[in-house]
Amino acid sequence: MTIAARYHDGETAAVHDVHLGYERLDDGGTLLIRRAGTGDVLARWPAETLSQRPARRGEMRLASSAAADGARVVVRGDTEIGRIGATLPILAERRQRERGRQVRLALLSTLALASVILAYVFGVPLLASRLVQLVPPGWEEAIGETVAGQMEAALGDAGGLALCDPDPASLANRAIARFAAEAMAGTGAPFTLDIRVVHSDIPNAFALPGGRVYFHSALLREARSPDEFAGVLAHEIGHVVHRHGMEQLISTAGTGALIGFILGDMTGISVAAGLGATIIDARFSREAEREADRFAADLARRLDYQPAGLAELIGRVGQDNDFTRALALLSTHPLTGERLAALSEMGRERPPGLVPPFTAAEWRAIRAMCDGPATKSKP
Amino acid sequence: MEPQRAAPVVFTGTRLGLGAVLLRGYALMVPTIGIYRFWLATAKRRFYWGHTELGGDALEYTGTARQLLVGFLMALAVFLPLYGLFFFLSTQSTVTAVIGYGAVAVLLWFLSGYAAYRARDFRLSRTLWRGIRFDQAGSAWGYALRRFLWSLLTLVTLGLAYPFMAGNLWAYRYRHSWFGNRQFAFEGSWKQLALPYYLAWLGVVALAILALVLFVRSGRLDSPFAGDPAGYLWLALPGAAAFVLVTLYRAVEMTRMFSAVRLGAAALTLRITLRGLLGQYLLFGLALVAAYLLLALGGAVVLGVVAGEAFVGGGIDPGRLMASMQSSLVTLLAIVFGYLLVFAAFAFVSELFLGFGFWRLAARGASVTGLDSLADVRARAEDKALAGEGLADALNVGGY
Repeated sequence: MTIAARYHDGETAAVHDVHLGYERLDDGGTLLIRRAGTGDVLARWPAETLSQRPARRGEMRLASSAAADGARVVVRGDTEIGRIGATLPILAERRQRERGRQVRLALLSTLALASVILAYVFGVPLLASRLVQLVPPGWEEAIGETVAGQMEAALGDAGGLALCDPDPASLANRAIARFAAEAMAGTGAPFTLDIRVVHSDIPNAFALPGGRVYFHSALLREARSPDEFAGVLAHEIGHVVHRHGMEQLISTAGTGALIGFILGDMTGISVAAGLGATIIDARFSREAEREADRFAADLARRLDYQPAGLAELIGRVGQDNDFTRALALLSTHPLTGERLAALSEMGRERPPGLVPPFTAAEWRAIRAMCDGPATKSKP
Repeated sequence: MEPQRAAPVVFTGTRLGLGAVLLRGYALMVPTIGIYRFWLATAKRRFYWGHTELGGDALEYTGTARQLLVGFLMALAVFLPLYGLFFFLSTQSTVTAVIGYGAVAVLLWFLSGYAAYRARDFRLSRTLWRGIRFDQAGSAWGYALRRFLWSLLTLVTLGLAYPFMAGNLWAYRYRHSWFGNRQFAFEGSWKQLALPYYLAWLGVVALAILALVLFVRSGRLDSPFAGDPAGYLWLALPGAAAFVLVTLYRAVEMTRMFSAVRLGAAALTLRITLRGLLGQYLLFGLALVAAYLLLALGGAVVLGVVAGEAFVGGGIDPGRLMASMQSSLVTLLAIVFGYLLVFAAFAFVSELFLGFGFWRLAARGASVTGLDSLADVRARAEDKALAGEGLADALNVGGY
């Protein structure tokens, strides 16, 4: 076999035009690299040391582990390449083996990443609730303040969410404060609850990190009994006690990091993290809802009132027109069939005719809280 | 010495060839949850390097995907604490958060200089031509500090210090570059940049003033958001003119600076024209619009099938779409997939038209004189200390 090629010896940048020859020996063959014209042997590369380096189509680059690092034999032309391949079947074997190595490495790293993701998806609710224990309550309260400012700016009309009844000594506010104190008793939560009934046309209620709970006037209007009002309130207090807001912040951050890892953009500023994170985090928030439901049910049992109120109120808001539905309680508290079933089950366990959580006078006062004109909320 | 013949750089790659490499890579990134991107980056470089030849010999990229993977894992060690800091800041009051974000952004800007230098080192040291490796010495931290301080000065002087910064950094990069045991030299300086830069600078400032004057005259100053937004379309004209000026300057800078690169008796000449650069941008813009039109059409059809209830009276109701997402796995998957497609389409089009276009433009405009003088360059030991360019990968400063 004589094939024209270019040869770089890897020692200097000189170019040698060479002819390739092949010498068959007992212990395997040798590639002979001969200077074109004179026929001097420039190098002998034993066949078992040969490997192919990546090259464009129509070009073959050979290297040898017995030669200098950068030494190459470069052959051009499909027929020439075909002839070399036929003479040196070891090249195809080598290529196959290298390919296998790359596939294994890619597979292994994929499996590693997949297990990280799985561990994350199943581990973070646990991990986040552990991590939350490490967050000082003071820090969480400060975060709650920040979030409250943002929420009021986003939800409120001009001056934020206006309190329905700014007088803390009114009958309604005292009744709510009493209920809050009873709810918090024995939970060991490090927060003071700050329950705010505010003017808003969107039937909703939500809890912020650090103990602040908002209850919208539109939702209060929908409530038909003190049990319903207390049920939703207890659910939100459950979020506070279990520190779900903080938990969600931590898991969202973790999800963002993970998505960044997958997309290879660790700067994390990209929008990329956004949607992916929302989708994964929806899972965590469903778990949090179940936990808050359980808290509400336990509280109803402890204070001896009807626990089905929560389900009834959420269900009623759900039947409202679509616009409010999209914005309201359900978007943050999606009422899945499973959850409704669990809530109704809690109700069935309890005999009817229990003592309501608020006296008739208190309930009247609470219902009337938002009938007055809107006043600006305290800063 | 007789005048030497210039050997042109030849580029043999085709857009179709690169497109095939990219599509295969994107397809494999799905089952590997993105891990395949290290192999894709390697394949891409093999494509560019392997199709670029000088004096009859193509470049060879000797780096591997494993090196990039390891580098990325190392970069994670830097970024996870930074990420934690980001998270902590995001929970702080607005003022603290803004100040903190600013500080982190400055830190990232500093780090990106380090990353860019390391990335260049990685690529050069894995580039083989005629059996000899390129390499880069110098200190990445030194370069990062230099670039950082220069960019501060440029900022303070409203851009007037830029030619000095560019001259300095180009010189630093090339004077620390090696081919085997032969060191590169750089004959350029700010003097070649000053005139075109200041002319372009004046032009851009004049255009900005013109736009401002027109804006004030139009009487929209009092209520800038009132009225028809189409009334602002004329502002695009000075904007486009400024873009052309900046592009012209970039072409001049690259032409003059690359043409100042020397390697012993060999000299590089490179000519990049305004027309070439603008043509690339135009093609890129058109291709991007076409790709997104196609995606939007396809996306609407798919959403119509999987989440038909979200379409109300000819529009999409985001609330219903969210509800559909929460309840239907198919809708969710369709949206995630569509999202990835939007991402991939952008990467695909920019690589195919900006990345490829620029490489081909530079290669076609380049030639080297005194190539024969390189025959006695000797090899140096390989720079094995560099584990990937993970930091660069993480900071997204990697070009090719």
